[in-house]
Amino acid sequence: MNRPPTSGPPPEAPRLKSTGLPNDEPQAQLPSQNHPGVSGPPTDFMGGHPILPEDMDIRDLPSNQLYEMNQNLMAESVSTRPLIDQLTPMEVLRAEYENGSRTFVSQIDYLMNKGYRHIWRARGDGDCFYRSLAYAFVLNMLDAPQAEREIVVATALSQLQSCKPMLSQAGFEPIAYDMFYEAFEAVIQSVVSATEEYGLLTSDSLLRIFQDANNSNEIVAFLRLLTSAQIRLNPDEYAAFIIDMEPTQFCNNHVEPLGKEADHIQVSALADAMQIRVQIAYLDGHKANEVDFIDVGNKNSKEPLLLLYRPGHYDILSRKVM
Amino acid sequence: MDARLRRVNKEISDCKNDKTSNITIDLIGDSPFHLKGSFPGPSGTPYEGGHFEVDIAIPESYPFQPVKMKFITKVYHPNVSSASGAICLDILKDAWSPVLTLKSTLISLQSLLCSPEPNDPQDAEVAKHYTTSKKSFEDTARYWTQVYAGAGKGKGSAAGGAVGATEAPKNEVAIAGLEEVHVGKFEKLGFERGKVIDVLRRLNYRGSNVTNIHDDRIVQELLK
Repeated sequence: MNRPPTSGPPPEAPRLKSTGLPNDEPQAQLPSQNHPGVSGPPTDFMGGHPILPEDMDIRDLPSNQLYEMNQNLMAESVSTRPLIDQLTPMEVLRAEYENGSRTFVSQIDYLMNKGYRHIWRARGDGDCFYRSLAYAFVLNMLDAPQAEREIVVATALSQLQSCKPMLSQAGFEPIAYDMFYEAFEAVIQSVVSATEEYGLLTSDSLLRIFQDANNSNEIVAFLRLLTSAQIRLNPDEYAAFIIDMEPTQFCNNHVEPLGKEADHIQVSALADAMQIRVQIAYLDGHKANEVDFIDVGNKNSKEPLLLLYRPGHYDILSRKVM
Repeated sequence: MDARLRRVNKEISDCKNDKTSNITIDLIGDSPFHLKGSFPGPSGTPYEGGHFEVDIAIPESYPFQPVKMKFITKVYHPNVSSASGAICLDILKDAWSPVLTLKSTLISLQSLLCSPEPNDPQDAEVAKHYTTSKKSFEDTARYWTQVYAGAGKGKGSAAGGAVGATEAPKNEVAIAGLEEVHVGKFEKLGFERGKVIDVLRRLNYRGSNVTNIHDDRIVQELLK
């Protein structure tokens, strides 16, 4: 693919914002001016990492040391959080908001009351949507009743196979996507039949596969290419949602490179390409005591993939249990 | 076999089998992760007839991280460092994606030679030259292509980009994109030729800029 050189957009700001740093003055809770309906500082969205041991007072530290310590801790927490973390009770997430946003806490309570008790957290590295979706996709098959599993997997594989020609039609070279496709195919295959690489898939081995950077990124890369192909091949459907650039340039700069966050357009393009139904719980602080579930993609599919959205971030929401 | 090695091996053999692209990828030593790419200068540009070589380093997490490329052959171009060969191109940085290959990236470098982006320069002096006088810039780029990339020597000797570098003598004034009459003028004042070339190059003493820069300013610089 011969891509004409462009100067490209300026590099994106780092994901961790300094607005999450404690203030020099003992004024820990800033009211939010810029986020209507959100009463905590923006990093609450990504937050949750204890900054100091409980018996230590932040105010005792000189500000430069505080700053440095925080930078290190935050950098560490991003790179040490597994790409997909083990199943985490919703209470853990709730605890992170207890000193911050009341609205978020009320929304988390709403989810818990509805029976959504756990999440799998994804690393906030810009790939969280694609990684979470892939994980939820395989998890859904693993959760299917034994009797249905064969057919569910066969359907998924044939759906995936029918997507494959899109990639070459979009102008990608097989040499660049074959390996990614095969990586995803192998994981799905292993849900019903033991493969050399993964054996027979269990929820533990699924987690391990997604925590391995290489395996995990191959799958992320595949879904990014599929998303890009869907937009490239149906530009008219998506052009209206792309501001200030051609769909092709959008794909070059915001879909294909790893680490670029997904907006609604990528979410719906991928759901359309894969013919899946994705249900996203919007934990966004816009509504107290309630969470909107947005349905994307194939509305006829009976078992939607469940994701939890917080501004700028996606995790996987576990199924309802009552 | 690890995924990176599998992919790189595939890419190398794919490139060998492709006779239409004129792109070559070769091993430099034993490692499949340190390679040398090459391509002909695009026709209709000052780089036409040249043979350009690129150093390729494949990082640990390729293809998820961008491949590292820099020109081995010296190139006179706003987006290539004239000293180090470093390249300013978005796909080598934040616009990299795993769908790009060594071959497609080398093709992008080839097309970068067709369309300089002086507003996002790697070499600020060359970029200034380009924006001041495109014609003078092109003369210099063409001269560099002859001297360093073996243009105009027939197909046989064009194989090695470095060949030109060992051949003497080069015209230092033309290399710097200056005019002999300008250099001579200050040389006559008793300044050393090399220093005159250096100062005039830095001040971008070219095209319409010549009338903007007063002789006093140049002498001042020469006396530093």
